[in-house]
Amino acid sequence: MIQVTELSKKYSGVSVLNITSLEIPKGQAFGLVGNNGAGKTTFFNLLLDLIKPTTGTIINNEIQVNTSELWKPFTAAFIDESFLIGYLTAEEYFYFIGELRGMNKTDIDAFLVQFEEIFNDEIIGKKKYLRDLSKGNQKKAGIVAALIGNPEVIILDEPFANLDPTTQIRLKKLLKDLTIESNATVLISSHDLGHVTEVCERIVVLDKGNLVKDINTSEETLKELETYFSV
Amino acid sequence: MIKNFLNFEWKQFARSSYFQKGIAIKILLALAVLYFGGIALLVGAGLFFILKKAIPETDPLILVNNFLIFWFIFDLALRFFMQQLPVMNVKPLMIVPVKRTTIINYLLGKTALSFFNFLPLFVFVPFSIVLLVQGYPVLNVVCWFFAMLFLVLSNNFINFLINKSNTYFYVLISVLAIFIGLEFLNIYKVSAPIGVAFNTLYNNPILSIIPLVLMVVLYAVNFNFIKKEFYLDDAVSKKVKEVNAIDLSWMNRFGSVAVFLKNDVKLIYRNARPRQVMMMSFLFLFYGLIFYTQETYKNMPAFLAFASIFVTGGFLLTFGQLVPSWDSEYYKMLMSQNIPYKKYLESKWYLMVVAVAVSFVLSTPYIYFGWKIYGMIAAGALFNIGLNSFITLFGGALNRVPIELNVKAKAFSNTNGFNPTQMLIALPKMVLPMLLFYVPYKFISFEAGLITLGLSGVLGIVFKGFFLNKIEQLYQKGKYKTLAAYNEK
Repeated sequence: MIQVTELSKKYSGVSVLNITSLEIPKGQAFGLVGNNGAGKTTFFNLLLDLIKPTTGTIINNEIQVNTSELWKPFTAAFIDESFLIGYLTAEEYFYFIGELRGMNKTDIDAFLVQFEEIFNDEIIGKKKYLRDLSKGNQKKAGIVAALIGNPEVIILDEPFANLDPTTQIRLKKLLKDLTIESNATVLISSHDLGHVTEVCERIVVLDKGNLVKDINTSEETLKELETYFSV
Repeated sequence: MIKNFLNFEWKQFARSSYFQKGIAIKILLALAVLYFGGIALLVGAGLFFILKKAIPETDPLILVNNFLIFWFIFDLALRFFMQQLPVMNVKPLMIVPVKRTTIINYLLGKTALSFFNFLPLFVFVPFSIVLLVQGYPVLNVVCWFFAMLFLVLSNNFINFLINKSNTYFYVLISVLAIFIGLEFLNIYKVSAPIGVAFNTLYNNPILSIIPLVLMVVLYAVNFNFIKKEFYLDDAVSKKVKEVNAIDLSWMNRFGSVAVFLKNDVKLIYRNARPRQVMMMSFLFLFYGLIFYTQETYKNMPAFLAFASIFVTGGFLLTFGQLVPSWDSEYYKMLMSQNIPYKKYLESKWYLMVVAVAVSFVLSTPYIYFGWKIYGMIAAGALFNIGLNSFITLFGGALNRVPIELNVKAKAFSNTNGFNPTQMLIALPKMVLPMLLFYVPYKFISFEAGLITLGLSGVLGIVFKGFFLNKIEQLYQKGKYKTLAAYNEK
């Protein structure tokens, strides 16, 4: 689904990301871990063509992301709160995204029913603007919005941060179901090694922009990662 | 402790983003401050003589006193829309071991240092000096001056109250509405007794104690108000407003642009900054009054054409020049979403067109100045719709300053979008309509000038698709730069 070749990003001579080759097959649940400054968000930003690669290419479903925009219809993402439109209510925001992805009000209302548990009555029908919601609730709204319109590639940066424990568990289940049922490729970054090993079939570790580990998740993966990061 | 606070204040000022811009902008800014300060000084110093010359039979001071109430109301209105209240900066101080009363006194004291309290001084100080030089009794003038000072500060505290409390706001609005109603429907001239009161105040210096008491009382009211609500979820917090939802589904008839159009309408009425721009653009409607009423410009139709652009173009110019910055807070999302850029731009275009049309309708009273003037406004409106809109959108592509939507623009910190490219873009907006009108006017006739100006607009509408495509390419090209700039904040 996604092929990365010779990808690098430099800011005034300092390399922040350097991936020689990486291939993510369709339907994979892909996890990205690394300490602060490892290049996780940079990688996601490059995937979404929000920053310009210094060298190299990213091919998303046979479309090179920085030359064509045709990847947009089947790719969705939630990177941070700046993906939300602060002066809309959550519903209005979902309807907006829905309209962009060819779903009308009724479709969206039907779609939102499955998230009632996650929303926990704090998001829909609250008469509150998104900018006035708590960080956790903003995150929930953003993640759900990224799932609108059955995208084939879903990119979530730190989806578990700021969420309450119950929602973290529900979100894990949701993401697992998603990869199984819809065959969507899901890319997740996280600082929580436990969550990411639970959800993802494959985990890549970045360190200072370099790919240092590429593991297919197994029983020992969590231990392995913990040993790696405890240095 | 106060010393510490002042130190923070200085750092906040010196390190704020607008201050760290290029040296050229700093110089321009300083010049602007000098300019406006200078004008205020001149007005203050010259007011006495101007009034004396215009209405020799009445004492200028009495005239000023009669007019003061309008000044203060205008001042309050200006403050309400423009003055930024110090709120957020107090948060980090809430849990440090400092007495609450110190913080509140500081907070209120800080509002007293606002630019809006200094501007009147620029007028009142020279005016008072002139009065003294003219031989008015010293005690009376000095006391009158201090009375004005207290009233300016009272206004400052009233503004704080009405911003923080809806009750005070509605009380004040009702009082003002009654006042304006009585005044302008000629039922009872409320301003007359107020003028008398100000004159009495001048004649009896001891009465200056009244404004002083008023100021102290208002300070105390503010103090108690804040003290009672000095918690994160009360006075110190940003107000969380209940959603006001308007059904905009009727806009769906605009087809594929409707998605964006609905958003843009919400953008305008739900955020402080765009609302402010709306108000400002409304004032542009009165721009014509400056030009059409003066004999000097009667024989300079090129300038009248210039003014006509402004009459209908207020919203277009003020809102349009900040496209796409209005969406800077979530631009990343827009750029990664499934969005046809052209539709996005087209929506902004429709918005401007509607605004021009509405302004045009509102400008109907200008018929009073004759059909020639009105024809000019009509031709100007067409130019605005057909060409100016595209020039403005084009200029927006070069404007990469993030906007905080729900924060009022601060007076004199709003150098956003103020750069050489922006100046260059502003040129065609002003000069082009003048040329389009003036050349045929000079060589053929007045009517030819009007027709050319109007036709240029029609041509623009005809080639709308072409222009939008060109502008879209420009936006696409600048995408990474724009994203990076919006990310900086």
